[in-house]
Amino acid sequence: MSPSVNDRVAGAALGIAAWLCGGISLLILIWVGVEAIPALNNDPGISSLLGDAHWLPGSVREPQFGMLPILAGSVLVTIFSIIPATVAGVGCAVFQRFYAPKWMRTFLRRVLELLAGIPSVVIGFWGLVVLVPILQKWQPPGQSLAAAAIVLAIMILPTVALTASTALKNVSPGLFRAAAALGMGRARTILGVALPTARRGIAGGVILAAARAIGETMAVVMVCGNVAQWPGSIFDPIRPATATIALEMSYATAGHRSVLFALAFFLVLVVGAAVGWIAFRKPSTPHRR
Amino acid sequence: MITVENLSIHYGNLAAVRDVSLDIPEGKITAVVGPSGCGKSSFLASLNRLTDLIPGAKVAGEIRLNGKSDIVNDPGLDLLELRRTVGMVFQKPNPFPLSIRKNFELPLLEHGISKREIPGRIESTLREVGLWDEISDRLDESAENLSGGQQQRLCIARALALRPKVILFDEPCSALDPLASGVVEDHIAALRGKVTVVIVTHNLAQARRIADEVALFWVRDGAGCVIETGPANTIFDRPKDPDAALYFSGARG
Amino acid sequence: MIGGAARLSRNDRLLGAAGGFAALVVLVGFGAIVFDLFQTGTASLSIPFLVGKVENGGRAGGIGPVLISTGMILLVCLAVALPLGTGCAIWLSEFASKIRFARAITAGIDLLASVPSIVFGLFGMVFFCRTLGLGFSITSGGLTLACMILPIVIRTTLIGLSGAPSNLRPGAAALGLSRVSTIRHLLLPVAIPGVVVGTTLGISRALAETAALIFTSGYATRWPEGFDDSGRAISVHIYDLAMNVPGGAANAAASALVLLLALLFINYLATLLADRWLLKRIAPTSE
Ligand SMILES: Nc1ncnc2c1ncn2[C@@H]1O[C@H](COP(=O)(O)OP(=O)(O)O)[C@@H](O)[C@H]1O
Ligand SMILES: [Mg+2]
Repeated sequence: MSPSVNDRVAGAALGIAAWLCGGISLLILIWVGVEAIPALNNDPGISSLLGDAHWLPGSVREPQFGMLPILAGSVLVTIFSIIPATVAGVGCAVFQRFYAPKWMRTFLRRVLELLAGIPSVVIGFWGLVVLVPILQKWQPPGQSLAAAAIVLAIMILPTVALTASTALKNVSPGLFRAAAALGMGRARTILGVALPTARRGIAGGVILAAARAIGETMAVVMVCGNVAQWPGSIFDPIRPATATIALEMSYATAGHRSVLFALAFFLVLVVGAAVGWIAFRKPSTPHRR
Repeated sequence: MITVENLSIHYGNLAAVRDVSLDIPEGKITAVVGPSGCGKSSFLASLNRLTDLIPGAKVAGEIRLNGKSDIVNDPGLDLLELRRTVGMVFQKPNPFPLSIRKNFELPLLEHGISKREIPGRIESTLREVGLWDEISDRLDESAENLSGGQQQRLCIARALALRPKVILFDEPCSALDPLASGVVEDHIAALRGKVTVVIVTHNLAQARRIADEVALFWVRDGAGCVIETGPANTIFDRPKDPDAALYFSGARG
Repeated sequence: MIGGAARLSRNDRLLGAAGGFAALVVLVGFGAIVFDLFQTGTASLSIPFLVGKVENGGRAGGIGPVLISTGMILLVCLAVALPLGTGCAIWLSEFASKIRFARAITAGIDLLASVPSIVFGLFGMVFFCRTLGLGFSITSGGLTLACMILPIVIRTTLIGLSGAPSNLRPGAAALGLSRVSTIRHLLLPVAIPGVVVGTTLGISRALAETAALIFTSGYATRWPEGFDDSGRAISVHIYDLAMNVPGGAANAAASALVLLLALLFINYLATLLADRWLLKRIAPTSE
């Protein structure tokens, strides 16, 4: 075979591989989307999804599919995990970049990387056997929004801390020289110059972390208590979307099953939009106070 | 008046400046000239201890501000106060990528200027560098949106707002286009009599135009030192050092 | 150091203390998690546990079949993801002549990287198990995981390829080398570190995965009889023991410890390899 034929065959084969890889997300959208159609259409239909008061998909006589408490669970657990993770993660990054001695800097980074590598089922298990009993003694029942938020915060903190650290590292040294030449102290340089300058990178990390939090399943399902309700306090059990899917898919049929696919489809859209937004943000926005 | 005595600067084992002694008169403009790599920037940075930021940099000798405390060796020196007193403007304009107002507020608040005083300071110093009329309605926009020359003047104003006694300029015009460079130069010249100015410049013509005193740095035995000093109106015409004569005539350096 | 001052002001020290406290919380938290897992897990951990069959729903016996199933799932996953991912990366960096196509594919891969794992599970369930008729099987699970780790493999390989000197390609073309030989003899060697690091990171992601496997490879605890058999991955085993099997906590802890140790080792390996090959850009986290 002449080299050019060889080249064309190889090019075609690699091209097929590339299109296949790029096309998988489309396959996912289609296959999950098709299963979700009945739920959005009439079985049970959007009005039922948004209008029903409760989530009682298994009820034989009158099943209800009010998914608002479930969506609320997802949103609440994301918010309550992202806040402590952001505070602690950015604090960690500031300490690592501007205060820690050199050896500790690398050590902290390694620990964060290891923490990021702990699988969600293992952290969930830890939450179930260690964290939940502690909470239970203090604020029963233990399996709750709070437990899920803590477990999630531990999981996403490394993402926030590591991206914040990178963003702070990328602040131009010229700005630190400018601050020093103006006689600015360390705290004001960090709070006034470094963090605001790195805010885009930090925000990107926080959004990525939030996307992970809302899509996380195993760690949450093991500690959240799994009651589809509007929580009255953070110590009440909840049931976010991912947990709902994981728990009910094995026995769901017909409309119920379709609703679970609709939840999954919705998750993909939300997370994809968040991640896409970071990727395609304008390179720089004029600063306004 | 700044008195520099036997100043040496090392980066690790490399001697960048050796045994420099120099008097910098108060209220005048002193130009530091010389070929690149002869230690001008290092010298300038030692005057407000910005050398502290460079890992491995070691400074020896004495620098006295108005005969008072020694900038190099005094253990009780308040560095933040020193840098308020001795301001600095760099080659590349380095405004904070925040609003113009923030650029002033951050250092002013650090030095205990009250929030009420700040708007006045901003206006007066922006007027001093001729920026007020250009940007007074854009104080809350990002400083990054300004042109290079405007940014450099903003940096000068930001340093001036701290009411320093000395301002150090490290080739403040060399990153600017000729027109902007001229404007910045005029504003530096206008500082004569108000603050003590030390300006490093590559540009001999610029030194001739604005300087009262000139110090020529040169590399001797592998380290920078001063080979010629004197008033600007005579030094260019009758240098004693042969290298200096060649350099000023444009044949060397 | 920034701020330059040898002496820190009160505010400087306050900020440092706050940051230090956050770092301390992270260190203590990490230490506590690992310590707890060791403490609860070592009790039932033994060689017979690692090779024994699963008995009494997991309360007794070992995790032998689970480890075998995990290995088989991983095998399927890598057998698909490696060639596909490497091929895609090579095409993107060497063949994609229309920037529009490359952009579309890259966007697809970015979206894929963001898909939550439970959604992969549902997709695998309808696409591989049902549409392709593979059923609840190790193959379905492996294929689902392959989709999940593809973005990692592609990205690291692309980074590896971008490390090739830019004059390699025109140089090779000038010598009359075909593109295939250029790729085989010149580019692949350069890309291999990226592929290896990507593989390691991919394995670690796949091993850690649970949600994508529950609905694809299933729960069966018997010794797997083939790739078309259902088989329970170790992460699913931990989940099932902890959630659905009363009295399964001890063996769940031991399994969690096994998984944790394996992952710590693999992640350590990935960092080591990335550092060794100076591919610091690969680990998104590196300094
Ligand atoms: N941060 C540094 N680390 C090591 N050497 C440096 C550093 N900065 C400058 N030098 C060296 O010190 C000498 C003087 O540099 P510099 O003060 O920048 O000279 P100039 O400003 O006159 O060009 C040069 O040889 C330069 O290479
Ligand atoms: Mg210089």
